[in-house]
Amino acid sequence: MNRLQGKFILITGASQGLGRQLAIDFAREGAAAISIIARRGDALKRVSDSIREVAPETRVLSIIADLSKEEEIERVVATTLNEFDGHLDVLINNASSIGPTPLPYLLDYPLEDFRQVIETNLVAPFLLIKKFLPAMIERGGSIVNVTSDAGRVGYPGWGAYGISKFGIEGMSATWAAEVEGSSVRVNWVDPGNMNTEMHRAAEPEEDPSEWADPSEVTEVFIYLASDESKNVTGQRFEAQEENWGQKAAAARNK
Amino acid sequence: MSAPFSFTLPPELAADEPPERRGIARDQVRLLVIDRALGEIEHTRFDRFGEFLKPGDLLVFNSSRTLPASLSGCVERGPCIEIRLAEHLPDGSWLALLVCQRGDPFSCGLRPNLRIELDEGLTAAIHERDERIPRLWRLSFSKSGSDLINAFYRLGRPVRYEYVSAPWGLDYYQTVYAKEPGSAEMPSAGRAFTWKLLFDLKRRGVETAYIVLHTSLSSYLDDALDAQHPASEEEYFVGEQAAEKINSAHARGSRVIAVGTTVVRTLESIADDHRLVHAGHGYTRLHITANHRLKVVEGLLTGLHEPEASHLDLLAAFLPAEKIREAYEEAVRQKYLWHEFGDLNLIL
Repeated sequence: MNRLQGKFILITGASQGLGRQLAIDFAREGAAAISIIARRGDALKRVSDSIREVAPETRVLSIIADLSKEEEIERVVATTLNEFDGHLDVLINNASSIGPTPLPYLLDYPLEDFRQVIETNLVAPFLLIKKFLPAMIERGGSIVNVTSDAGRVGYPGWGAYGISKFGIEGMSATWAAEVEGSSVRVNWVDPGNMNTEMHRAAEPEEDPSEWADPSEVTEVFIYLASDESKNVTGQRFEAQEENWGQKAAAARNK
Repeated sequence: MSAPFSFTLPPELAADEPPERRGIARDQVRLLVIDRALGEIEHTRFDRFGEFLKPGDLLVFNSSRTLPASLSGCVERGPCIEIRLAEHLPDGSWLALLVCQRGDPFSCGLRPNLRIELDEGLTAAIHERDERIPRLWRLSFSKSGSDLINAFYRLGRPVRYEYVSAPWGLDYYQTVYAKEPGSAEMPSAGRAFTWKLLFDLKRRGVETAYIVLHTSLSSYLDDALDAQHPASEEEYFVGEQAAEKINSAHARGSRVIAVGTTVVRTLESIADDHRLVHAGHGYTRLHITANHRLKVVEGLLTGLHEPEASHLDLLAAFLPAEKIREAYEEAVRQKYLWHEFGDLNLIL
């Protein structure tokens, strides 16, 4: 408990699934304030209520935004920094669009959908990091990008989503290299298969009971958001691998 | 108050688009360097800025973020107007320039107690005129805090002057290190910095500190009023860390170099008689002129200022008016570009 005491945090895609669970667990760990971003206001309101229930001391800022639109990102950044007095400690780039379901092959992928997925999953994290960096660079901070094994293996049918995650992997490594030596760290996490609305829509024929609940994968995110990982940067984590903790310890002892 | 000198700025020397749209990077604008001790002028490019600094020098930046401060709305059964936000007042209301969108920009029957309706349910009640700068009105909006900032970013666009060729997006009006939203116009002296340059400066041993001054409007669209150089009131914040860095720089004999006149205004407002800077939040109306003895700042990076601009008064605190005039004549001859997207001037 209280591993995130005093932290100012922003989570994208926070209305459901992993993002929702991270918001609740981060609040439970004592976060001072959390800015939660999603397209659906009603769902954000429910997440905000859940946070207040488990952590009434945590300030919650809800911003309805479509991150596939560049001008919405500037609004999210400015509104958050206005509320947080110019500081941000933790940025979680979690929002993802899966694209059309059932998942079409690339050969059949509509260009408009392809662009929307890339804008949401790759361009938005790039812009959010770029725009929040000034608010993190003086006090230090942690950026965590959510990736997928579809960012390392080309699965047929995972089209723009997989390509965007390949991009996230490369972008995370590049950001980590560019800010090395500053007090900002950049890591990325593959949460593994999770029983979420998005995943069920992507693979309706699979049995979701075999997938992890989002609450089972948040530990590595808490670690990366906390000062326990203050020397860890440029690392890829797999939340459902048993040895992620060993990897973290190895990185810490470098 | 009159400027220390005047000159004619050829219209073609107004930068009408961002450097990135002229085919050069942010940090490739030109830099005119004036050596205060020797009185010499040197021409270079901004990406060589670090060559003029020494390890231990402290650069102080203004990290205020530019608001989309130009909003549109209409009075019910009345005129439509442009609202240019100027200052957020302590009671939550705003000072703003109200510009009529048809006919004479200042004669469309605006008066206290009218209500301006903007989009998405946002309204602004008009109160009294500002006593010091009567072109400004006090407004109170129907939203406050982050809800209001959120609404500004949904509805507004950057303030744009007539020399700018197109309505460039808000990102063109931000410095790369901008944080807290609140400036009516970009603190533009820092626009040319890139993160690569900032990291390079750090590696050279140059130190950095950040303060916030939310800029007001640089023009009230009224030549007679602008020529009087009314000192606008601006809100500033100086944190403990910045104050400590500035005082430490002086203690070890290093130079404090302001990135922009807004930083000079802030630091000279907050310093005590012993040249010590203390953390604080306040509002300044300080108008710096040739008579001002600089307490904190030894150097200045700034843009090139218009004839009759109040910023020229401030430059006279660093250099004799004659030296500034010589440098500006040289800048005109060398076809430097003026305004927020233009070239820069370093005074050391």
